[in-house]
Amino acid sequence: MNLYQPYLMRIEEAVDETPDTRTFKLVFQDPKVAESFDFQAGQFGEYSAFGEGESTFCIASSPTRKGYIECSFKEAGKVTGALRKLGVGDTIGFRGPYGNRFPVGQMEGHDVVFIAGGIGLAPVRCAIWNVLDQREKVGDVTIVYGARSVGDLVYKRELEGWAKRSDVKLWQAVEPGGEAPDWKGEIGLVPAIVEKAAPRSADAFAVVCGPPIMIKLTLPVLEKLGFSEERVFTTLENRMKCGLGKCGRCNIGPVYVCKDGPVFSAKELKALPQEL
Amino acid sequence: MSTRILTKADLAGLVADLLSAGTRVVAPARVDNPQVAAYRPIASFDEARLDGPLPPRSPKEFFLPPTEVLLRWQKKKDGIELQEVATEHPKQVILGARPCDVAAVEILDKVMGWDYRDELWFGRREATTIVSLACRGVDKSCFCTAVGSGPDAQKGADILLVPSDGDAYLAQILTPKGQALVEAHAQRFGEASGAEAAKSFREAATRKVASNLPIEATKLSGWLADNYEHELWKRLAMRCHGCGACAAVCPTCHCFDIVDEPEGIDRGVRRRNWDTCQAGKFTVHASGHNPRGTQNERFRQRVLHKFSIYPKRFGELLCTGCGRCARACPAGMDLPEILGQIAKLAGAGVPTGGTK
Repeated sequence: MNLYQPYLMRIEEAVDETPDTRTFKLVFQDPKVAESFDFQAGQFGEYSAFGEGESTFCIASSPTRKGYIECSFKEAGKVTGALRKLGVGDTIGFRGPYGNRFPVGQMEGHDVVFIAGGIGLAPVRCAIWNVLDQREKVGDVTIVYGARSVGDLVYKRELEGWAKRSDVKLWQAVEPGGEAPDWKGEIGLVPAIVEKAAPRSADAFAVVCGPPIMIKLTLPVLEKLGFSEERVFTTLENRMKCGLGKCGRCNIGPVYVCKDGPVFSAKELKALPQEL
Repeated sequence: MSTRILTKADLAGLVADLLSAGTRVVAPARVDNPQVAAYRPIASFDEARLDGPLPPRSPKEFFLPPTEVLLRWQKKKDGIELQEVATEHPKQVILGARPCDVAAVEILDKVMGWDYRDELWFGRREATTIVSLACRGVDKSCFCTAVGSGPDAQKGADILLVPSDGDAYLAQILTPKGQALVEAHAQRFGEASGAEAAKSFREAATRKVASNLPIEATKLSGWLADNYEHELWKRLAMRCHGCGACAAVCPTCHCFDIVDEPEGIDRGVRRRNWDTCQAGKFTVHASGHNPRGTQNERFRQRVLHKFSIYPKRFGELLCTGCGRCARACPAGMDLPEILGQIAKLAGAGVPTGGTK
């Protein structure tokens, strides 16, 4: 099998998160692949809609949940448009897992803060469940999640679940004007909500993902709160084709996002050329 | 490593032997326009133009075709069926390729093989024996000596032919593959002679090229990495159209796109096509955001990839100094001239009296 040959996966569940964002639960058609497939939080794959091509998304489910993977994507072009038209029982292609991972193992014994904006919750959710499925291993868990409007919040059913847990501090926010009449969460931008939440920073880890501008404005807040830049992680989603370090597309200066990333610490990010 | 002599008549015989054994022979050869040659499969030695003009494109397409099928898919009643493509290829010999073109193939082995091995690339590599021909230097755009190579470089070749006395080539056998070719056609190769003539050919060619761009491009990497925001990058590519001609003719540019194409309502192919970092859409995110939004940024990427990123990652420049990009550019972007400017800034050799 050559490198570019995808596995076939069957769509088990399809959920519309927002009017333009959809989540698939996927299982491998080949039971042998299903058995041997393994990945780590933060890794990504190339998903194909046959006839339209491939698109790059993170694996949005946790490696602690065996037997399937999930991905969430926003319709933005040809491939995501074609994927969105697919439903339960349909077949898609998958290559992966590719790239590095969030240092979930190192988080043991420490507080963890998850910060996401919009569809950026997808990769963070993978790490959230990875941690929550072994809840006793970490200290405080704080989640700050914001979207443009209430309608743009993804994984609403899980947000409700996290809100009810006593071992998770959840801060939900929408931008001004994005709230609904019954909105009980915060109104404001993610960096401001992080500042307001002011999670304990001593020896704590943070995982941040969202639009480039949100990441850019959140990192200084975390620094101000006292987080070590070696313990703040983000994941980049540059345009990719191969995912294998060959097609020459995703690099930022000397770094190949597909191979050296997609997960980078704030310290590593600072050292990169400002070509984000 | 051993050396033999190969006369032109024996080379013609060797080609005939190979062709009759079913081996594909690719060589610089005549095309309709008599001013131009192209690397293409030949049907007889007469078609080859070993001493003709430099083919406008390198032979990289015989390892990484401009377009190639990665897989076929077909919709069935109960899902999708995939058909794999072969990663084994029929034997081919590339004959008379320039040392700059041949070096590129070995350089690209690195990116095609790191971590994930590209079987499509290596399938063709393994099926291919490369017999290169030392170059006498083409024109003022040549700068192989500036990238640590030379018109008689051995890199990537299984056998290097160097013009010698009269109609003969001195054949340097460089690899087991080259040795196997010689052994299989032993009657075509004679005892080595004419070393002096070959030596003076090499020296003359090296002198000719070296004066084009007397810099050490291997020493630019640090300056390039440290001067990402240099004002140079704000003006250099103002003329560039972003057409990507430089990448199409470049022996080391290897960036590709992966696309699906229908072959009917229920079936289609996935292809890998050549692409270029000079195209505006190359890096556009799904959101519309483009990390390399201007042509100047895209040109910087091309220079950095070749002279800083690739060398740091793989220990080799991603450039063999063939000069094709400068010859092909419709807007007059001249990489050797630009490298001269950078070398001056980086203190890596100062071009004297201009580089042209």
